[in-house]
Amino acid sequence: MEALLEFTRGPLFRLTFIIMILGLIRIVALDIWGAVAAYRRAGDKKLDWGAAIGHTLQWLFPARRVFTKRPVYSVFSILFHVGLILVPIFLLAHVQLWESSLGLSWWALPGTWADYLTLATIGLALALFLGRLVDRGARFLSRKQDFIWPLLLMVPFVTGYLCANTGLNPATYQVLMLAHILSAELIFILIPFTKIAHCVLMPLSQFIIALAWKFPARVDDPICTTLNKKGAPV
Amino acid sequence: MRTNIITAEEREKAFASAKKPQVIESQRLDVRYHVEDYEVKDRPRRFLEAFAAILKHTNYRFALEHFIRISTKCSRCAVQCPVYQATGDRRDIPCYRSELLLSVYRRHFTVAGSLRGRLFGTGHLTDEKIEEIADSFWNCTACRRCTLECPSGIDHALITHLGRFILSEIGIAPRALVVSTREQLEGKTGNTSAIPVPALVDTLEFLTDDMKEDTGLDIDFPLDVEGAEYLFTPAVSDFLMEAETLMGIAAVFKATGGSWTISTNYFDAINYGLFYSDRMMERIIRKLYGEAERLNATNILIGECGHASRSAKYYVPVHCGGDKAKPVLNIMEYTLKMMETGKLKLKPDTITERVTYHDPCNIARQGWIIEQPRKLIRAFCKDFVEMTPRGSENICCGGGGGTVSIDEIRSYRTTVGGKAKADQIRATGAKYLIAPCANCKKQLRELVEDQEIDCEVVGLHDLIYKAIDFEGSHAGLSAAEKKG
Repeated sequence: MEALLEFTRGPLFRLTFIIMILGLIRIVALDIWGAVAAYRRAGDKKLDWGAAIGHTLQWLFPARRVFTKRPVYSVFSILFHVGLILVPIFLLAHVQLWESSLGLSWWALPGTWADYLTLATIGLALALFLGRLVDRGARFLSRKQDFIWPLLLMVPFVTGYLCANTGLNPATYQVLMLAHILSAELIFILIPFTKIAHCVLMPLSQFIIALAWKFPARVDDPICTTLNKKGAPV
Repeated sequence: MRTNIITAEEREKAFASAKKPQVIESQRLDVRYHVEDYEVKDRPRRFLEAFAAILKHTNYRFALEHFIRISTKCSRCAVQCPVYQATGDRRDIPCYRSELLLSVYRRHFTVAGSLRGRLFGTGHLTDEKIEEIADSFWNCTACRRCTLECPSGIDHALITHLGRFILSEIGIAPRALVVSTREQLEGKTGNTSAIPVPALVDTLEFLTDDMKEDTGLDIDFPLDVEGAEYLFTPAVSDFLMEAETLMGIAAVFKATGGSWTISTNYFDAINYGLFYSDRMMERIIRKLYGEAERLNATNILIGECGHASRSAKYYVPVHCGGDKAKPVLNIMEYTLKMMETGKLKLKPDTITERVTYHDPCNIARQGWIIEQPRKLIRAFCKDFVEMTPRGSENICCGGGGGTVSIDEIRSYRTTVGGKAKADQIRATGAKYLIAPCANCKKQLRELVEDQEIDCEVVGLHDLIYKAIDFEGSHAGLSAAEKKG
């Protein structure tokens, strides 16, 4: 058991983390590659950068839109994201792991904050899952992964909380810790290949849609040629 | 989720299809708009061929790649869609509509999707799916409000735009739009309303006489002047339906002494290509620009029309030389500039009744023309009230995206598409509803009639015409006129 834990904490962690990083780099690179090619082809290269930056910031820090439509859902969703980002990165135990392995260290969340934030994230994940199940519009749109993700994301949070806060006997602790690490590693691998890719793609969206409306010049002729419609009436 | 769902009675009225069962059977399309007869055989294959050709020669692919990766299906767009808010039909949620096309893209144009599809033998494009796309993509009014509300930044309007383009390539597009565009590009009259030149000249002479009676001044429409500063092209239907808007515009030019002209060779700014086909949009833009070059005009000035302004403003640079292309302006920009430079004087408080302003989606959504008309309105209207929401977050008139030209779906437009707008208009209690857009005007007139709202729909220049202080402006008046 000890060896298995060591393996998941060491080589397996490094492997899955690298897969995630490379996967994310790949999709960002593909996005930028596509955007540059589109920009080169665009007939009009004047982009409203200011508006795109403004919209991006507005959605990265969505204070303005929270209370206009669906306020409860908005607040829940924002807090959920805050917990999801802050806890794994700034939990003291995690920071210490980075420090002991790579020598990197950064600010850590105070213990009680981390606890509350973890519990809040678990509760919010459950609420968002139930919300998706109950809301007729959202349920109708949802794919399998949309229901699975909030539940999957809860696993490392629940197991992590239990490991850190309850006087468990060593055997149970080890099982839970294994579940904690493995679930996190599964998440790492899945991130670049599922909708969680939005964690890196979302800041690019406003630039992409601004550019997407900048069509290439003269597409009529080549499309007609390809589709054999030269000289065909309107 | 809050919705403002229509009653069962309204639903029946809105969705009563005007199409004959034989037509539905022979065209394999149960949609509410009429489509010219087309080759029904092999639809999925031809749809995919058209899709592939478009992807090859345009810029859509990189955006679709981004959208399929980022879509989280949060359903936030549902709260902003006036159509879904009225029907409550989940198939009208913008994200659902987009997914119809994105799923085709994922299955047939990505490696992972086609591998999975082949492995499980699922997800390939079927006739039924094409039917669903054909129905769904024309329920949308292309108002682009959903794009504002998408946290992930998916542009559902772009997807609708693309979907309609692909459909049109296999022959599925509203007949009303196709026939008009055909007349504009290939017909004898060369404009969407099929107005012959003698009729145009007659109309304008008649308006000049009318204005002489009203103002005592000679206000004319200069035709085919070479080297004018502004080549003026309105939505051509204005020559038939919006005489007062045109009179207001001519009067503004008279008062400000502006150099402008209307070409009798080509006088139509309507561009239905924006609604159904990038290829047609390009042809129309090039035709318009060719006319500006032929007459050696400095600027292209579009009349009171949202989609015509947007298509010219954003696609003249695309197809006619980028930065170097002739500038495109909307008439409201010209009039405001004249007022702000003191060349145009408007008499304050000319209009004492309550006035409200409808933002046409195509010029307001991207923040282009929002404050300009309001500054003008405040200069001569005593009681101006705003609708909420307004500006770039405005609510569509319900006839956007070309749907207003489809007469057979009027009941759909006035009960579903325009329901939220009707509530907004009612809440203002305005006597005049200013809508500086040919499409919005037509739709809103039908809307206030069908929804029984006591309100008159007018153009901005209709009212400006009444408010111009020719004496005070006097740049364009001759010495004799000033004395008179």
